[in-house]
Amino acid sequence: MSAKIAVLGLVIEEPGPAHRLTAKLRQRLSSAEFVDSNVYSALSRLERDGLVRARASDSTSTDYEATEDGVRHFEQWLFASSSAPPLRDELHMKIALCQPRNLPRMIELVYGQELVCLGRVQELKRSFERLRPPDPKRWSGLVLVMVRDAELAFWESRLTWLQGVRESLEHMGAGFANATRGQREKPPESPSAGFANATRGQREEPPEQDRAGYQNASRGQREEPPEPLGAGYQNASRLRREA
Amino acid sequence: MNPLLSLEAVGKSYLRGPHRLRVLKDVALDVAAGQLIAVWGKRGAGKTTLLKIAARLEKPDQGVVRFDGVDLATLREAEHTRLMLEKIGWVRRAGPKSDLEMLDYVALPRLAERGRRQAYALAREALERVGMAECAGQRWGSLSDGERSLVAIAHGIVRAPKLLLVDDPTANLDVIEREQVNGLLRSLADEEGIAVLMTVPDMPALMHAHHIASLSGGRLAVPPPEPPELSHEPPRDEEPGRVIQLRSREQSA
Repeated sequence: MSAKIAVLGLVIEEPGPAHRLTAKLRQRLSSAEFVDSNVYSALSRLERDGLVRARASDSTSTDYEATEDGVRHFEQWLFASSSAPPLRDELHMKIALCQPRNLPRMIELVYGQELVCLGRVQELKRSFERLRPPDPKRWSGLVLVMVRDAELAFWESRLTWLQGVRESLEHMGAGFANATRGQREKPPESPSAGFANATRGQREEPPEQDRAGYQNASRGQREEPPEPLGAGYQNASRLRREA
Repeated sequence: MNPLLSLEAVGKSYLRGPHRLRVLKDVALDVAAGQLIAVWGKRGAGKTTLLKIAARLEKPDQGVVRFDGVDLATLREAEHTRLMLEKIGWVRRAGPKSDLEMLDYVALPRLAERGRRQAYALAREALERVGMAECAGQRWGSLSDGERSLVAIAHGIVRAPKLLLVDDPTANLDVIEREQVNGLLRSLADEEGIAVLMTVPDMPALMHAHHIASLSGGRLAVPPPEPPELSHEPPRDEEPGRVIQLRSREQSA
């Protein structure tokens, strides 16, 4: 979504000066992370294209209002079908490409991302607390809550995914620890016994402190990873779904 | 300000078949009077266990739970029962076991202590406080999910508790009902100084809380401290005298 169309929508809703439009944009579409200069450049482009015009106001600043072309242009955008959001995420790449020896640090990386998500939810909460509590029984309150919920649904699904990844990695780490100990105590049953233990032991907790367990796990991986992490992770996910 | 409820290094695990499942690991959490703290987590993450441990309805494997400075593990059974009747409201949407009218159900916690007349007066007051006075004569089965949540809150606040423990109050509610229930819980904290610890199944329900956390894999994750506030107006939840009392494992270490 461009700042241009967002600013046009706000001008149609209520004509006003640039600084007021900037404040509104921040309140209403905080997730889009527009900066102040976006509003000013959007207004000059909209004016150039004949979609808004400046009009005299009582104060020293200039008010902007939409032209008929502007309203038509906005409605064309409003009712056009929306394209699907791109699904390209650096963390997906990191998980796809990481190795078993990376487990302990990947777990902390994923946990860090969980905290980032929670932080964004907290920021959203605070930005809403600065507004008058929206009344979902009124139109203005309902649309505000619906847009907020859309952003929250994104963070919720991201956090749920991250938690699932972390829990799977933690179980995998515990499995490695068991496998490593088993190797020291008796001969391995089969080349993939470590991962079989790992998937069986999904619900089993590491017998030692977590961090120590992960350290053992990563030491174990340097010796001989029985099969790629991806396969183990898929097994783990499949078993969880079946459970 | 001292926290009303304090969990220190709490751990809990269950045996699931041959395996041990740890649902809480080293959890630290403080709730002060007038605070609403919401804990989000998916189904089975241990949210209800956290609440039960906070009320000593379950015993933790490790750690200490204090209410008003008193270690709950040191209370005798009768003392604990009294605490649950007078100071801790337990709110869940399970409803009464028998087919009671809602006024009877809400009055139940006060009947033994206050007698019939006073208990019913308090129950009417509590139903009115949650906006459900007109449902006094109805039965649980005839209420919508939203109405059940509100009646369950009335059942919790009828004892004028210091602490309200609320288990997933907004599950399956629509937007309007959810906002109503969460707004009510926030107002109980803000206006009546009740400490509220609630678990929520979805993120929109976090929006009315003073502080938020998430629970997964036994870890209670707390968002990092925010960047400095640019506005001259202080956020509503950082009034003087309020304390932020959520601690993650990393922060307490």
